[in-house]
Amino acid sequence: MNFLKNKYTYLVIASMFMFSSCDDYLDINDNPNNPTEAPISALMVNSTFETAQNTFRMGDISTNYVQHLASPNPASSSDVMDPVNYSGTWSNMYNVMTDLSDLINQSGENGANHYQGAGQILMALNLGMTVDAWGSIPYSEGLDFQTITPSYDDDSELYQEILNLLDQGLVNLSNPTEVSLGEDDFIYSGDISKWMKLGNMLKARYLNHYSETGSYDPAAVLAALDNGMESNADDAQVEYFPEQFNPWANVAINNADLLLGGWISEQFIESMDGTLYGVQDPRLPYMVGATDDGEYIGVENGAGRGDAPEQGARSVLEPGDYYSSELSPILIATYFEQKFIEAEAAFGIDKSRSYEAYLTGIRAHMTKIGVEPAEIEAYMSDPEVSMGEADFTIDDIFKEKWIAMFLHPETWVDARRYDYSYEDFDLPVNVNPDLNGEFISRLAYPDSEVSRNGSNVPDVSLTDKIFWDE
Amino acid sequence: MRNKITIMALLAFFQLTGMYAQQQEVTGTVTVASDGMPLPGVNVLVKGTNEGTVTDMEGNYAVEVGEDAVLVFSSLGFEKQEQPVNGRSVINVSMVENLEGLDEVVVTSFGIEQEKRSLGYAVQEINAEEITKTKQQNVVSALQGQAAGVQITNSGGAPGQSARIIIRGVNSLDPNADNQPLFVVDGVPIDNSTTESAGTPRGLTNRAADINPNDIESLNVLKGAAATALYGVRAANGAVIITTKKGKEGQVRINLNSSIGFEEINRYPKFQEVYGQGFSGEYDPSSFWPNWGPSMEEINAIDPDVRFYDIWRDAFDTGVQIDNSVSISGGNEKATFYGSLGNLGHEGIMPFSDWNRTSARLNGQIKFSEKFTFSGNLNYTISGGNRVPHDRFMERMMYWAPNHDVTDYINPDGTMKTYGNTNPLYDARFSTFEDEVNRTIGNFKFTYSPFEWLDINYLIGTDYYSENRTEITPGPLGIDGEVPLSSTGSISETSIESRDINSNFFITLTKDWTEKFGTTLRIGNDVFERDYKRFDASGSNFVIPQFYDLSYTSQISNSQDKRKKRLVGVYGDLMLSYDDMLFVNITARNDWTSTLPIGNNSFFYPSVNVGWVFSEVVETPEFLTFGKLRASWAQVGKDTDPYLIGQTYNSPSNYPLNGQVGFTRFSRFGDPLLKPEETTSIEFGTDLRFFENRLGIDFTWYKSNSKDQIIPVPVSESVGFSTFVTNAGEIENKGVEFIVRGTPIKSEDFRWDVSLNAAYNQNEVVNIREGIEEIVVGSQFGYAGSTVTMKLIEGEAYGNIFGSSYQRFGADENSIFLNEDLPVVIGENGFPLRNGSQLVLGNTTPKWIGGLKNDFTYKGFDFSFLIDFRTGLEQYSQYDNFFSAFGIAEYTLARNDTRVFNGVLADGSPNNQEVWLGQGEGPDGRNYGAGFYRNTYRTVSENFVHDASFIKLRNISLGYSLQENVLSVLPFTSARVSVAANNIILYTPWDGFDPESFSAGAGGNAVGFTGLGYPGVQSLFFTLNLGL
Repeated sequence: MNFLKNKYTYLVIASMFMFSSCDDYLDINDNPNNPTEAPISALMVNSTFETAQNTFRMGDISTNYVQHLASPNPASSSDVMDPVNYSGTWSNMYNVMTDLSDLINQSGENGANHYQGAGQILMALNLGMTVDAWGSIPYSEGLDFQTITPSYDDDSELYQEILNLLDQGLVNLSNPTEVSLGEDDFIYSGDISKWMKLGNMLKARYLNHYSETGSYDPAAVLAALDNGMESNADDAQVEYFPEQFNPWANVAINNADLLLGGWISEQFIESMDGTLYGVQDPRLPYMVGATDDGEYIGVENGAGRGDAPEQGARSVLEPGDYYSSELSPILIATYFEQKFIEAEAAFGIDKSRSYEAYLTGIRAHMTKIGVEPAEIEAYMSDPEVSMGEADFTIDDIFKEKWIAMFLHPETWVDARRYDYSYEDFDLPVNVNPDLNGEFISRLAYPDSEVSRNGSNVPDVSLTDKIFWDE
Repeated sequence: MRNKITIMALLAFFQLTGMYAQQQEVTGTVTVASDGMPLPGVNVLVKGTNEGTVTDMEGNYAVEVGEDAVLVFSSLGFEKQEQPVNGRSVINVSMVENLEGLDEVVVTSFGIEQEKRSLGYAVQEINAEEITKTKQQNVVSALQGQAAGVQITNSGGAPGQSARIIIRGVNSLDPNADNQPLFVVDGVPIDNSTTESAGTPRGLTNRAADINPNDIESLNVLKGAAATALYGVRAANGAVIITTKKGKEGQVRINLNSSIGFEEINRYPKFQEVYGQGFSGEYDPSSFWPNWGPSMEEINAIDPDVRFYDIWRDAFDTGVQIDNSVSISGGNEKATFYGSLGNLGHEGIMPFSDWNRTSARLNGQIKFSEKFTFSGNLNYTISGGNRVPHDRFMERMMYWAPNHDVTDYINPDGTMKTYGNTNPLYDARFSTFEDEVNRTIGNFKFTYSPFEWLDINYLIGTDYYSENRTEITPGPLGIDGEVPLSSTGSISETSIESRDINSNFFITLTKDWTEKFGTTLRIGNDVFERDYKRFDASGSNFVIPQFYDLSYTSQISNSQDKRKKRLVGVYGDLMLSYDDMLFVNITARNDWTSTLPIGNNSFFYPSVNVGWVFSEVVETPEFLTFGKLRASWAQVGKDTDPYLIGQTYNSPSNYPLNGQVGFTRFSRFGDPLLKPEETTSIEFGTDLRFFENRLGIDFTWYKSNSKDQIIPVPVSESVGFSTFVTNAGEIENKGVEFIVRGTPIKSEDFRWDVSLNAAYNQNEVVNIREGIEEIVVGSQFGYAGSTVTMKLIEGEAYGNIFGSSYQRFGADENSIFLNEDLPVVIGENGFPLRNGSQLVLGNTTPKWIGGLKNDFTYKGFDFSFLIDFRTGLEQYSQYDNFFSAFGIAEYTLARNDTRVFNGVLADGSPNNQEVWLGQGEGPDGRNYGAGFYRNTYRTVSENFVHDASFIKLRNISLGYSLQENVLSVLPFTSARVSVAANNIILYTPWDGFDPESFSAGAGGNAVGFTGLGYPGVQSLFFTLNLGL
């Protein structure tokens, strides 16, 4: 009985103890799996990597519009310019911008000026890609959870922000820093001079987007790229990893496993095999695969592959090629792109500078993807390519830039600024009738945004233009 | 016991005094009809007198009576029985259990036994026999059709596959919430979670299936908030109270139970068996396309040796279940025990899928004194098996051309034998996923009763399990020309450890103030802690082919997840009873949870319920034996998962890269002011018994509103998060439940019991926080834009399925519902036009569910069947989507037809354009591309959302128990043989495998999608039961 009495006493004491220490007992809700703060270096790792991924993602969306690729299936919604819900990519773009916002704030607090500067440049780049695809988007009320239904900022105002960010970034990069970038920077491994070149190159890129507007200032573009990249060695790119393959390589591998994707557009093949421009481009085998018979045959956008089997009868992205190898880089911003920007900006001011930049751009791209020097020389000397300054037109710049910027999202910006006037460039078969015979000008706002922030989403159609596209 | 002895003595006294001439002695044994076990303590009285006796421990009695006397046998919980002596000297009696007696005692919260008549809310108890008769290995499945308002859905037919239980509708708007009730075993809650595998679904097990159904004595379903108020937050969705078998005083009893079952697919979709491999009607024996080639006639003209195999039947085996268990129980006045060992082995119909469960249980009770009792229950289970991923298996079946024998899958060198596509059987055999759960559930209970009016109880229990999962995908074997399953091969190891501790201390004060007025007051303290750890490691690229060890892979990544949750509660429970006819029960509980912010983490819930046995008071007609009215009101709170508050960072799984680990802001942000959810429910009911209990009707109406729902609200990603966990929204469930029980025939040898239950539930999403248009619960893939989504929208019911449809002429543009009555719009190309905007195509929550049970006994024979049904629901058939895309469905036989589609053109005029449904160039010279089924049919979700109602013969069983005269020469005290069949579909409008199948697993809420689920099975069981 004593035992029982004791037991009873213990229980009473135990339960009283429990009440008195209840708050301590229950104060165990700190997450042991996720930290509440992240080091800026870890944010930089993810931001540089994901910026490359975002370049792929936006390229993946627009590559059918610019007819680099075509769907093997007829009337595929991305081919025929249907409104497609890109909630996932929208979310990816904002994920990076969110992290960059944290990175910029945190590095500002602890004097990590170089982190802050690189963060601002990456922010400008991701913001630019997002605006170029969707136009007006939430920004000033976004990123730091002021409201669950943020308003949309005007696309032209966001362009001011992009340019501000680049300017601030360049200032921060030129200042001394408390903490230095290193291997956590997947783009330049901490080379600040290259970051500054990138900042200037991007300034040129976004200033050049104004080409169709009244506020286009080609001199400002040229001024910016005077401090830009100087060779292919300055290219902003992320090389992929044995643990994480290049995403275009995955497309090629999946296609080989019959998860079809990465089929080359007939337009792209015909632009390079001599059909449209009367010159055989030696880059074709470096960029895409041949059929089993060694031919290069594309698929007409919107038509699908017809009776062609899944494999062997059409050109596709092939594992092992420059753009689709497991460890290939994703090119974010390159010297050759800069040269084409220079060619375009200089065209009306200084045509010989323009022509030289055009030729250097082609050569830089060919070198980049590893074309044999002899093949380069042969191509460069073809009169269709080196037509001479007098016969050189703006169309030549856009055509060569369109080839060099294979799979890159900038090509869609170019195509819209150029009103898709490439040689023999037609609307896809089965084109979305709602476009009334026009090409697509923007992406539809994603379903996630319509369902979560519907009252703020602007009412636009796919043919409404981004502000720079007039 | 003491009372029984007193009665015996008294009766013996009367017997002596009442002795007179022509007396004779009658002896006999009283047994229980259902299992043939002797029944002690039965009152044996001579009708019209007070003379009689009671049976002894072995059920024997002896009594002196007159020749023409009538003996009346009665015992608590059994039907009273009269036997005229008619000069017999031996009268053996088997007593039939009275399952619905008025004085029925049911187990409610914390293992407290209460008289059913005193309760102000609906409870429904299912006894041991009703559970084991179903032959279900999973205790959740065993409830199917047996309890009103309780919806059980098997997620498929895989061995050990989970079953989902929902009581009175879904109560949460949170797509990830577990809407299933709390499971309580012997007073202590246990874990019933289902942890599906990442990636492809594999039909994993809900953890309540670790309990051996043979160990269950009774199972009680507590439905409303009033019934569960004492359990607090964890029972917000109801509770299933399981009581396991205990030893009884008397001789040691040994029970052997052995059963074997065979199973096969209970229903197949309709397949075409005409067209073979190839595309566009062209035969190609290595084509990826299994069924778009020419007809077999044409194929055989090319190659006469090509056959059309019935691959959908060839690929599956006959499943086998073997269940053996033995139990031993007994005890004396001081101590009782029950011990059991059970083993279940189950091989499924899908090759190489299996599940095993071995369980051991020891229950014991010791009475140290009249005042102090100690009892303990201990259960150890090992369960697990090889979980073949049904989704992947069936997808590979889709691609497998029927012109190749699917069962001829391996070359002598061990590589896959194939014409090109992956063989499903080869994959099922070599890509393995094995899990093993080691689980201990145990509790100790101390009861101390120092005074007659005071009980002090302490109950402490633990539920601990560790689970290991190993998934292996072989890489290349290194043999030339092989088609490997994976170019690298991979292995992943998962280790889960979960420990629940429940401590519950309560004292009970009982006082009868007057002869009529009594009170019981219970106050207590309840503490719960869950400690959960999960570790995942995976690697790919095996260094040595076929040597599957994580250490020998070249790319290793890992992750871990730790969770801890605590709850502290105090509660009080006051029961008032007046004159055995009016009962009032008031409860109050306050909980503090660790998962909500301190300051907001305390919540109080009151409940009150009233039971009034009006038949005791009001003059009622003769035929009304018993009548009771019930009413209850309760408010319960609900907390949430750990670690939801605030902002965090995490590292995506693709790191480390180059030795660097990246971090990103975690996409979820938890409201720092998060507060508990609140559910208010009211319930009215009545329990009426007629004609001396031959007919009973139980009716319940309920309504419950859950507001301040804790929901991960999807928010605009531009704000820096994709979900914001906050209090937002309200959901309402209201409905009715009926139970009708009757005993149409009752005679000496023959008895027929029938019971029908039905429930109707109506659900509405009352509101969602402003600015949020919809909550997506889940979605499932369909080809070319036919993907369907389950979404919640304000003002609509839970479970609407949205998808694409055919365009309708004159459709209301503002309506979110598809109006199927309107004519289809036909395009200029002569084919129906598709409407890609998402409309409601159906709802996945059944309107009516119920069951009908019939039990017949005739002498030693018993026969029973249970039918259950569900109506008023639709499901998306992903199978059908694939069947149409790959030309497998029977309706694709029309592929070479020419047809004028019924519908109107855009201007409303009737369509009269003839089109061809085939692929390539049609008879009219026009190129039809990939043909109607691929171009149009498979792209329209409407074609794949169908009525998924069914009526099933859930169980039919015939048994025979050996009678006394045979048993007396055998070394057994009881013996029963039985045969049973399960899950036979009687009716369903659904075309496909068993509509009772969904891919989300029991823990998920996206139940309206079949996925490529494990097909449902029907089974046949043979069972032998012996008592020693």
